[in-house]
Amino acid sequence: MMMGETEIELVRRCLEGENSSFAGLVELYQDKIYSFALRLLKDPAAAEEAAQEAFVKAFKALSSYNPAYPFSSWLFRIAHNACMDALRAGNKTVSLDHEDFPDLPDKAAGVAETVADSIDAERIEALLSSLPALYSEVLLLAYREDMGPAEIARVIGAPEGTVKARLFRARELIKVKLGAFNAQDATV
Amino acid sequence: MRRTQPFKGLARITREDDMKADKTEELIAKAIAALPYSRPSSGFSARVMAAVTAEAPRPWQAGIFKTAGLIVTAWAAALTYVSLRFLHTNLGDIAAQAIQPGGPQQALNLVAARAALVLAKTASAASFCLDMVSAAGLPAWYEVAVAALVCSAAIAALSKSARLAGRGI
Repeated sequence: MMMGETEIELVRRCLEGENSSFAGLVELYQDKIYSFALRLLKDPAAAEEAAQEAFVKAFKALSSYNPAYPFSSWLFRIAHNACMDALRAGNKTVSLDHEDFPDLPDKAAGVAETVADSIDAERIEALLSSLPALYSEVLLLAYREDMGPAEIARVIGAPEGTVKARLFRARELIKVKLGAFNAQDATV
Repeated sequence: MRRTQPFKGLARITREDDMKADKTEELIAKAIAALPYSRPSSGFSARVMAAVTAEAPRPWQAGIFKTAGLIVTAWAAALTYVSLRFLHTNLGDIAAQAIQPGGPQQALNLVAARAALVLAKTASAASFCLDMVSAAGLPAWYEVAVAALVCSAAIAALSKSARLAGRGI
């Protein structure tokens, strides 16, 4: 994603010491960052706190921002760190060793016939919140924020291969859960 | 022929499965992409800006940080220059010391002895300063200020009278 002209201008003015320009950046990104935090933390108060912390940290570290990369991924990286800190502080596990990840079947295909009508916003929201944060965040960054694996890797601070693996597992898990939802619906 | 027929069938089923999987993935991607953004509570932006303003250094603080940074940089540069100059001037001696048997060990001992001396001097200087600060009976700051003013006035008066005497007035 390329930086918009306004965004570049706002960052430049902030770096020149015009602190009030940061309000423009907050206005531009508050919904994105808050929604991202809310979907990971599942608690509006904690999400607001994490989003605020992310913006304050971004302001303090603005001089270290490299304009060669998109501002959004730099900001999302700070938000990701704030959310992971909040999850750890709330004793919610973010480790891959302890997450609730069931064994997947060899192929989680075959649900497409019936899913066309079943994936509405409410259902996908429920499916995302049922996933461990590590998986829901890569899906959100990939599809909601339209980031590629390399950009997601920069955001979450993991190798690109790990991002691809997490994306694959997240999609498979969603498909399995979607199949279970559909089977549940069919029996009702 | 009988051997390839089931294989072809299996390939077709797998292709169909793949297509179904691709379609599911596409649907999942579209559903996630269409998720709405939530808005934080009203006043969020103002709270962020208040926190940012509280964190931002005041102009005079920024000036102090900048000056301190410049001083440190200048000192680092001066120290580097002096060290390099010292090394350059004494390169012969250092090389001779290094190649002679037991030379490096001797140099290390010398450096260690110097460091211990500097450490001891620093410790005693710090202790002396602490003693001075904590010593009872030190005049209060305003007494020191008055004494300094009186001394300055006396020096100014004496120098003025000396200047007048010099001119023969």
